[in-house]
Amino acid sequence: MAQTVFAPWDDPTQRPLIQFKGVTKRFGEFVAIDNLTQDIYEKEFFALLGPSGCGKTTMMRMLAGFENPTEGQILLAGQDMAHVPPNQRAVNMMFQSYALFPHLTVWENIAFGLKRQKMPRHDLDERVDEMLRLTRLSKFAKRKPHQISGGQRQRVALARSLARAPKLLLLDEPLGALDKKLRQDTQFELMDIQEKTGTTFVIVTHDQEEAMTVASRVAVMDEGSIIQVATPANIYEAPNSVYVADFIGDVNIIEGAATRTAEGYDIAWAEGQPPFHAKTPVVLGNGGPAYLAIRPEKISISAEKPDDAGNTVRGRIIDIAYLGNISTYHVEIPGGTMIKAQSANTRRLSRRSFTWEDEVWLSWTDTAGIVLER
Amino acid sequence: MRRFTLIAVPYLWLLALFLVPFLIVLKISLSDTALAIPPYTPTLDFSGGWSAIKDFFSKLDFENFIFLTEDDLYWKAYLSSLQIAGISTLLTLLVGYPIAYGMVQAPDEWRPTLMMLVILPFWTSFLIRVYSWMGILSNEGFLNQFLLWTGLISEPLIILNTKIAVYIGIVYTYLPFMILPIYAALEKLDISLLEAAEDLGCSRLSAFWLVTIPLSKGGIIAGSFLVFIPALGEFVIPSLLGGSGTLMIGKILWEEFFSNRDWPVASAVAVILLLILIIPIILFQRNEQKAREADQ
Amino acid sequence: MRRFTWFNATSLTLGFAFLYLPMIILVIYSFNASKLVTVWAGFSTKWYGTLLQNQAFLDAAWVTIKVAVISSTIATVLGTMAAYVLVRAGRFAGRTLFSGMIYAPLVMPEVITGLSLLLLFIGIGLDRGIFTIILAHTTFAMCYVSVVVSSRLVSFDKSLEEAALDLGCSAFDAFRLVTLPIIAPAVISGWLLAFTLSLDDLVIASFTAGPSATTLPIKIFSAVRLGVSPEINALSTIMIGLVSIGVISASIISKRAAVAQQRDEQAAARTS
Repeated sequence: MAQTVFAPWDDPTQRPLIQFKGVTKRFGEFVAIDNLTQDIYEKEFFALLGPSGCGKTTMMRMLAGFENPTEGQILLAGQDMAHVPPNQRAVNMMFQSYALFPHLTVWENIAFGLKRQKMPRHDLDERVDEMLRLTRLSKFAKRKPHQISGGQRQRVALARSLARAPKLLLLDEPLGALDKKLRQDTQFELMDIQEKTGTTFVIVTHDQEEAMTVASRVAVMDEGSIIQVATPANIYEAPNSVYVADFIGDVNIIEGAATRTAEGYDIAWAEGQPPFHAKTPVVLGNGGPAYLAIRPEKISISAEKPDDAGNTVRGRIIDIAYLGNISTYHVEIPGGTMIKAQSANTRRLSRRSFTWEDEVWLSWTDTAGIVLER
Repeated sequence: MRRFTLIAVPYLWLLALFLVPFLIVLKISLSDTALAIPPYTPTLDFSGGWSAIKDFFSKLDFENFIFLTEDDLYWKAYLSSLQIAGISTLLTLLVGYPIAYGMVQAPDEWRPTLMMLVILPFWTSFLIRVYSWMGILSNEGFLNQFLLWTGLISEPLIILNTKIAVYIGIVYTYLPFMILPIYAALEKLDISLLEAAEDLGCSRLSAFWLVTIPLSKGGIIAGSFLVFIPALGEFVIPSLLGGSGTLMIGKILWEEFFSNRDWPVASAVAVILLLILIIPIILFQRNEQKAREADQ
Repeated sequence: MRRFTWFNATSLTLGFAFLYLPMIILVIYSFNASKLVTVWAGFSTKWYGTLLQNQAFLDAAWVTIKVAVISSTIATVLGTMAAYVLVRAGRFAGRTLFSGMIYAPLVMPEVITGLSLLLLFIGIGLDRGIFTIILAHTTFAMCYVSVVVSSRLVSFDKSLEEAALDLGCSAFDAFRLVTLPIIAPAVISGWLLAFTLSLDDLVIASFTAGPSATTLPIKIFSAVRLGVSPEINALSTIMIGLVSIGVISASIISKRAAVAQQRDEQAAARTS
């Protein structure tokens, strides 16, 4: 871990760069954004994550100025942006389609925004060259967009939107058009560039892995509202709802009735079975019905009943998915619930310990599960 | 065998009814006028054998083409055709672009109707559409009646039987050919490109000049050629609206053939018209080729 | 982001007014009682009456329709064959010349096409009449048909034909059972285009028609050369009316088909 953690959202003396204040956006009858309030801080890499139609793109387009809020305010550095048109905002956007001008070269694309500022010729040349270097595109300056690869186009789009040194850069699914391998490399490149330029980035994505990799904070959205905002680690390890737990990564959700214990809750999940224990500081509003959410990688699988585990349950292997680095076992436990358990394949070509129809023991610690309200 | 038939039938048809007639035109343009039926010499007579064929070729010459350069009626007519076609193409572009642009901006549910309204005149008789302007542009026509009534003019304007009437006729009849390719180009234009231009500091007007116009260039060029090429050889419009004072090469050819019965000169006029057309046709093909490549 | 502004509305209104006003005026004045075509003297349908008694016009109309039906039908067959050759036949000797001969007539001035065909007919001693007009119209119309059909064939998924061959069709059966039904809309619009071009043609018909056959455009042209005439206004109105009915009903039919298809797809999506 770094010595000083970057967490301006925990520092009450920091003033946010962007403030959404009770913003609602309606398109006719349809409510795209529902009374949303959210702060975003300078130098943050803020990810808006959610399924299509959740309102994340609308939020971004309101920041860019292509849409205006129906109600509420959006402040940028304390200034209300309501009547500032897109061409006068210190905000630039990297479009999902990249929107590179096909009739202009890479160089002219990057220079496009600078020319609108009437930047002197000499400074302009320098700035474009700097952007080309930053995005490793110097060799391609004279090419047209259709003469370069998808990854290069993505970098041109990034360079073009960064050239005007915006206070805020919006990225709409910036890596959506790239294949998986290239996407992973580009994610690190994006983080690198964000750090070098010190620009605030807001990224819209439906790819949770991408959001987790690049963002300082992730906002999980659904139906026009933000469900949870937290660092990637907290979103994963401490989701505040079944929706978030389910949206980010893989999770087992066990329904049951919770009763308060000294350190957390006991979850009764099936008749005639001992309850599962969960240590948690969280206090449920109402005892009784609850969910227990456990990540598959936190469940171990063994042939014999382990002695030291907080929770154990016996089950039968129904399905095995071999994914190379890990294997996922689908295990049916009493009552018919299916539980996914993962184990890392640390040894190459080892004889598989378990096979279909094997009776096995699943176990996890008391702190592995999260109790969520039903 | 089937493949052979499939190719041979349309191939032979076009050879016999397109290429051969054209070669005949070329040949007659090199012949001399004669008071005979057909009214030119020499005529090819294969029964005379090889010597007759040699004799035939030795009698062909460029006399008619020399005649065309000597009589200034012809080159004036060529120049006037080029000028009229050029000016009316420009006018059609100026009228057509805003219409195509308006169609693209219009709500989606209007588009099929607007499209139909542009195409409908195309299915209506060309002749009737040209004719409809005769009643409007004449001295006591509707336009003059209207302008006199509004008090804008005190004496009727003379429009019919001038070049202006020909411009109006060409713009009117070829307008759909200009609108459709521009509309197609504008419709393909990705709206996010305009948003990107605004995001990068453009006003709406400068985004139009810097993005919309360059990206619809293909449609503008295609539409311009689709108007210019047929306008150059136009016959109906100048003869109905242009009066005797308007020289256009299509009209000259017609008169040379039907009135003067000078087939060799008419053929020479046709050959030169084609030579003039080859340049814009090749440019047009290039433009289309480029558009196809850009699509891929 | 699309904005329908006042400027757009104005340019559309003026543009369509320009396209349609002349025809509307023509239609209105075809009901003028006066012989003076620009002075309104009350409503009358008498010009339609005189038109229908004008045997020369009726004969010309009949010739025109015969020519248009026959030439557009032959042109559709030949044009579809040519399109198929262009798109599917691969390489053969003289392919460049072939595609050149398909595209050249589209840009060839009508006066040249007409002149060259006339010189051919005279050269081979063919008497001019309906038959020569049909030959001439078929030739230029087949090029339009083949352009329309080949643009559809290009976008047509070749694997459908290959699937038919794989399932045991002969090449001809594959064309008849798979390709033709799919390209049928293009073939039909090709026919309509050929038909309209033939109905409309003045220049080529003037060259290739002999004294024995006169088409309607030739008749109209010789009448209007002398000036505006109320009978021609009436004739124009009938023709404009027929075309409008045709185009509007075609667009309604295609719109209904599109709506039906959309509904079917939605229904299918719901049940799946």
